[in-house]
Amino acid sequence: MTPRRLLWLAVPLAGVVELGAYYHFARRAPRAEEWARLREPVAALRQARELVVVAPRWADPLARHALGDALMPLADVARSDESRYPRAIEISAMGERAPELAGWRTVGEQNHGRFTVRTLENPAPEPVSFDFVDHVTPEHAQVFEGVAPCGWNPNAPVSAGGLGGNPTFPAQRFICKSGDWFFAGVTVIDDDREYRPRRCIWAHPPPGGPLRIRFERVPLGKTIRGWGGLPWLLFRDSVGATPVEIEVRIAGASIGKHAHRDEEGFAPFRFETGRAGETLDVEFEISAANVKDRHFCFQADSR
Amino acid sequence: MSWARRFLSALADPTIGLALAVAYVALLLATNNDLGYARDEGFYFQAARSYEGWFSLLFESPTAAFERANIDRFWAANSEHPAFVKSLFALSHHFLFAKWKLFAEEGTSFRFPGMALSGLAVAVTYLWGRRVSGRVAGLVAAVSFAMMPHVFYHSHLDCFDMPVAAMWLVTTYAYWRSISGGGWGWALATGVLYGLLLNTKHNSWLLPPALIVHFVIARGEGFWRELRAGSVRAPLALVAMAVIGPVVFYLGWPWIWHDTGKRLAAYVAFHTGHEYYNMEFLGRTYWKPPMPLGYAWVTTLATVPAVTLLLFLIGLGAGVKRGGAVRLGWLARRLGFGDAPTPLDRDLFSTELLWLGCILTSYAPWISKGTPIFGGTKHWITAYPFLALFAAQGFVLAARALTAERGRAVKLATTAALALAVTAAPIAIAIGSHPWGLAAYTPLVGGAPGAASLGLNRSFWGYTTGAVQGFLNERAPPNASVYVHDTAMQSWDQMVKDGRLRGDLRPVWSPAGASFSLYHHEPHMLRVEYQIWVDYGTVAPARVGTYDGVPVVWVYERPPPPK
Repeated sequence: MTPRRLLWLAVPLAGVVELGAYYHFARRAPRAEEWARLREPVAALRQARELVVVAPRWADPLARHALGDALMPLADVARSDESRYPRAIEISAMGERAPELAGWRTVGEQNHGRFTVRTLENPAPEPVSFDFVDHVTPEHAQVFEGVAPCGWNPNAPVSAGGLGGNPTFPAQRFICKSGDWFFAGVTVIDDDREYRPRRCIWAHPPPGGPLRIRFERVPLGKTIRGWGGLPWLLFRDSVGATPVEIEVRIAGASIGKHAHRDEEGFAPFRFETGRAGETLDVEFEISAANVKDRHFCFQADSR
Repeated sequence: MSWARRFLSALADPTIGLALAVAYVALLLATNNDLGYARDEGFYFQAARSYEGWFSLLFESPTAAFERANIDRFWAANSEHPAFVKSLFALSHHFLFAKWKLFAEEGTSFRFPGMALSGLAVAVTYLWGRRVSGRVAGLVAAVSFAMMPHVFYHSHLDCFDMPVAAMWLVTTYAYWRSISGGGWGWALATGVLYGLLLNTKHNSWLLPPALIVHFVIARGEGFWRELRAGSVRAPLALVAMAVIGPVVFYLGWPWIWHDTGKRLAAYVAFHTGHEYYNMEFLGRTYWKPPMPLGYAWVTTLATVPAVTLLLFLIGLGAGVKRGGAVRLGWLARRLGFGDAPTPLDRDLFSTELLWLGCILTSYAPWISKGTPIFGGTKHWITAYPFLALFAAQGFVLAARALTAERGRAVKLATTAALALAVTAAPIAIAIGSHPWGLAAYTPLVGGAPGAASLGLNRSFWGYTTGAVQGFLNERAPPNASVYVHDTAMQSWDQMVKDGRLRGDLRPVWSPAGASFSLYHHEPHMLRVEYQIWVDYGTVAPARVGTYDGVPVVWVYERPPPPK
């Protein structure tokens, strides 16, 4: 056979290689039962409430199914970022790495079946002294529409609007007088092009005056750091809409104001408290010149 | 050769074609039960039921059936698409399910015409490949086409995508036969078939330009001579398409019998102003122009088996070379090299030009950044039979090279082995992709896991409910409510009617308050999953439906209230 004719062997070879490659790739990703076997080792490893991160990210539902809420709680899964966590456990399949943990130092590595489970240390963690999202309860907070108090309801009717509708309006929330959309309560919105989950305080500015959420006796750190935005799918085409303003006050004195524009997605803000180490009341005031469709939601903490 | 032998010989290929069609439909029927009903199928079930009402009236009281009030009553449903295939759905349900009870599931009777037309497409691909490239190559073309994973998925459905691919192919085949000395019978058939194609889906609007361009280029200098003389002899088939096609289209769609202009305008406007859907492509969700120009090409690369594409490129390359020899041969000869093309070369050039025209026309809308993407590969699925026919030509060249100067037995064995080598992977990928269909990607992008990492769409239309129906039936307590997410309510209802889902389960529109919630993954849908998290107080699905380890659909179960 001439070399030129030999080249034609590439055709059947391509078929055979593709067949082999198909079976290789079909078996490459770990199956649900393999994920289930990870539960014990990860539980043993996660002793200080470390963040559990999965690589590749698309395997996240399998990890949540296998590990459950105890190892992957909503607050972690729908975090604003990773800066608060001193350590994280990365579950890596197929050799993939979590991009959000790039730059973290590997301090431990174990192999479990087809997984590599790494413990990583944050080179510059920012410990949180108070997470406002965890304290939207009558024990810690009061909410007002203008000056009118918004009443706490621990069993409010839950609503969820599906693809084109509202995020879940949770059962436990401070309900303001202007209607269903005006309350303070914890929900999750979709953020930016990757539609990532962000756990946040729903704070649609109401028509009867700014929404004011006052947290009592907050142990303050150096800064109040937060993120705010509107559900991305609903507002991704919104350019030039009325900005939502969020002003933060400590003991009645303003420490800063952030104007959020829809096109920014879930965007960060940060204010220096100037009162680190003290325990004082903190108030967030959310307003907009035109409150129509200002579905604002924010996360904030002091650190 | 005796008369009997000639007769048997003439029957051989139609018989093989029929056997391929029957085998394909049998395979589709055998794999039908765990393929959930897609969103659009639900709408077409509903439309077919409505049209069936009209056919029943037609059988009972023909005069009443032609009254405008009855036409409007029964044919208004889903009037944004023409009626031919939905009429087949209706008649299949009327006769094969209700009257003759050939199918146990109502949904299967609705799906059957789509399966049959897919089988027809496989058979015609074989017959055309057989005529141009030989018997084994024809088989390779048919199998390569049938076993493209997304073709295999769409072939199951009560939708128009495979029917339009089939009708496009059959119409083009009839056209080709008519211009290849087939006579006026094929030309008339082309006209009738084009009418049915028009009545199948709006892709049909693109075929005449492809055929006209083919005619002009294939006729070559002769066309320009005739044009200068003011007397162009258009093929009879083109004339038949222009004359018979619209008549068949009109007669087959009762909705346009009244207010014809207005209703046709609404039909055209629906498709020329189609809304934009969300589509994930390379890690980004597109929902408005500019849409990515590489979408159709990259998605084809990622979903059509590489060996089929390789054969296609070989076949295409040879065709282009031949085309050059035919059209630019005069230049080569003037420069002192190259032989004059043979009549066979000219015929083959015309055939391949026709195939190429159909491929390019099918992909043409994707040259515009403004074309909406609302269904992935199904948009250009009309190109795939022609891609497979070029692959058959590639196969012929490979077989010829590998079997040259061999004995007959070795030739036969080598050709068979080659055919097996080039079809094994497509068969394995297509069969392995069931019932995940649209989540199927070829090894070129790392299969389903690689595609997930690249950010390619895993599913749409909510059909993967079929993959978790067993879990719901087993796990849900009596009368449990289930949020159906992207599954159309009509599709859910059909699954209940067919006994796939328990009848006591209550489908609901919102996760709030539902005992179970389905989630069909697409990135822009994630916000629905978040709604479930907040309401249910858990981020842990009770069941994750995976394809090759990649999550495609998952189910949440509301945890019991805390004690």
